[in-house]
Amino acid sequence: MNPVALISGGGNGIGRAVAHRLAAAGMSVIVADYDHAAAEQVRGEIADAGGKAEALAVDVTVAREVKAVVTDVAQRFGRIDVLINIAGGSFYTKRIEDFTWAEWQKVIDTNLKGTFLMCREVAPLMQKQKAGRILNTGSNYGVTGSALRAPYSAAKAGIIAFTKSLALELAPDGIRVNTVAPGPTDTPRVMEKETPEARRQRWHAAIPLGRTAKPEDLAELYYFLTTAESDAITGQLFHCNGGLV
Amino acid sequence: MRLQDKIAVITGGAQGIGRAIALGMGREGAKIVVADLQADKAQIVAAEVQSLGAEAIAVETNVASEMSVRRLAEQAFARFGRVDILVNDAGTYLKAPVVSKSEEDWDRTINVNLGGNFLCARAFVPAMRKQKSGRIISIASSIAHTGAREFADYAASKAGIIGFVKALARELGPDGITVNAICPGSANTDMPRRHRSEEDVMARLRATPLGRVLQPEDIAGPILFLASDAAAYITGQAYNINCGTVML
Repeated sequence: MNPVALISGGGNGIGRAVAHRLAAAGMSVIVADYDHAAAEQVRGEIADAGGKAEALAVDVTVAREVKAVVTDVAQRFGRIDVLINIAGGSFYTKRIEDFTWAEWQKVIDTNLKGTFLMCREVAPLMQKQKAGRILNTGSNYGVTGSALRAPYSAAKAGIIAFTKSLALELAPDGIRVNTVAPGPTDTPRVMEKETPEARRQRWHAAIPLGRTAKPEDLAELYYFLTTAESDAITGQLFHCNGGLV
Repeated sequence: MRLQDKIAVITGGAQGIGRAIALGMGREGAKIVVADLQADKAQIVAAEVQSLGAEAIAVETNVASEMSVRRLAEQAFARFGRVDILVNDAGTYLKAPVVSKSEEDWDRTINVNLGGNFLCARAFVPAMRKQKSGRIISIASSIAHTGAREFADYAASKAGIIGFVKALARELGPDGITVNAICPGSANTDMPRRHRSEEDVMARLRATPLGRVLQPEDIAGPILFLASDAAAYITGQAYNINCGTVML
């Protein structure tokens, strides 16, 4: 039976690339996304390439939706071997005094609470299996901070610490939990806001490897961390940013 | 095979983690230069790699000697014509409290562990720059982050490697060369057995959050990943492999 991987935020950008990578490696991939049409699109792409995929809609900030999705996957597949939490975003760039409480909560909830809710629902199943791998998504900003992205930086730093705590909690059950921290990555969402030339000028000199990441660069790292070659790794933070940080 | 026809130089390749890396890379199709102070053991590992169907040579090397590293580079280039991957694994230590550590012992640890990184990088970087590609992977240690009683020289040398790797990654990024460190926890090798009983070694190795004994192969796996095309965008990092004992 194929390993089963559940990916939040799998409909776009890095999540989409990860879904493709895991499916290419023979996993059954459940693409869960707030944007159901995007999830459905990725499911179709994977199926066309000969892989196995399902698409589900989920708002990771809503506990009952997360519970419903995980219950559905558990019933249909009987197990979840890999959980990858990618749903998130910075949403706003502005000064701290201009952030409303609602905006703050949106950023914290989508990134940090969503990660908590997904892990909370999936962990018991993995504990029963006595096996599982969880990958959460941090950011270089969770380590360095970022002017005009205070809530995002706080949420991502929170994810890094949450991951370490969960890794210690789940290690006795043979479950590994790690964080992948992407740097500047060419996802459709960021490319909409910036021309390729402006983006090149902003990042070229700062990144030792001289380019921003493609979603596929990140997908390789996520995939590696699901393989047996990474079986001795838990609670760790994996930057992938071309040397920026 | 992820490293088909790549040429890899592995210092400290004659035993423990270095040997696991040599065998792992050989299995992935790389041609291996096993560089080690212990020439006879290096020869044995080269033969083991050959028995996997991969090419390999052994070169007696003292990584703390400019002359010796130069000879290593000459032999590697003479045999294979290029070098794609440099793994800096050669390391040493002498357990002793700082107050009773001799200057000679201090120098030896720093010169082998840290100086060896410098001399080997300097020997192989010019060719990698010309190729506009290359991978340098250095073995640091969790002790770089945590320190360890009576291992001050070792801790300092390993933390130095992490700083060196980050600086070198910035220097070589524009040439498409990635430079990373791996920080293993205490692994099931001969090293800890030099100063502890077998029982004590195994008890300590088992006392990890994952309850798993860290094996040389556990460290070789992530190094194969970093050496492969899949890790083209990763540079300047120090990844921890320790069964959860240290989280940073």
